[in-house]
Amino acid sequence: MSADEIIHQPVRLRIMATLSALPDGERIEFTRLKAILNATDGNLGAHLTTLENAGYVAIEKDFVAKKPRTRVAMTRAGRAAFARHVTYLRDIIDGAGGGQMEEKPS
Amino acid sequence: MTLSPQDATAALRDIDAAQARSATLRGYRRAAPQFLIWGVIWAAGYGLSDGFPHHANAIWAVLVPIGVAAGLFAGRGTEPSFAWRYGAITLAMLAFFAATFFVMAPVTGRQVSAFIPLFVALLYVLAGIFRGPRYVVAGLVVAAATLTGFVFIAGHFLLWMAVVGGGALILAGFWMRKV
Repeated sequence: MSADEIIHQPVRLRIMATLSALPDGERIEFTRLKAILNATDGNLGAHLTTLENAGYVAIEKDFVAKKPRTRVAMTRAGRAAFARHVTYLRDIIDGAGGGQMEEKPS
Repeated sequence: MTLSPQDATAALRDIDAAQARSATLRGYRRAAPQFLIWGVIWAAGYGLSDGFPHHANAIWAVLVPIGVAAGLFAGRGTEPSFAWRYGAITLAMLAFFAATFFVMAPVTGRQVSAFIPLFVALLYVLAGIFRGPRYVVAGLVVAAATLTGFVFIAGHFLLWMAVVGGGALILAGFWMRKV
């Protein structure tokens, strides 16, 4: 098993951890996620795009009372990848992991 | 790139912190409508009871079911077990208050009006010990407001509870909605 380079980046790790604490399929608004993570619009948006391109999050845009709304949810693939990454980290601590980072296109 | 055990430990610590923060804030968000609903119910119930003290029982007999119905409506869709848990909590609290007032009788209306908010405040503090400090703060504010009014407000304790007790719950509701 190897680390997931897309997930392991610090901001993306916190994004995935935050989303993983929500029930399966529950979406969170971009503005709320930004506030929870103390991130900027641009920074969060860029990292979410990376995660979306990897298939780890789904981003949904719509309008509520004529105001744009963006919501984010962790996909099943994202939940599985995050679980694998956590297992990998634990294996390193337990001395079972190789400690190599898997390269993935971002 | 190689991850050391220290890197892995730090990453897991970050994950735990982010998950805990996410879960706590989600809990606050879900609790907010309940604080707002019961703040309004308290404000209306205590306010009307202050104006029409002889009809206090009837006022609460109308308002409590409205609050329960509104609470159920606000919590719909949050989780499959919400409705029966909410109903069970309501029945348990009603049974507790009935049994307590039966055992502790005689009690005055003023005592009843102080005891129920103090018990609710205790529940918030206990919930907060497990689920986040905002519940603790809300409970302490409600308890302090209740005791202050009980001791110092002789003539219009119920009006005090409507404004300060109900107001505290409403403010707590808005606070829960914030990130």
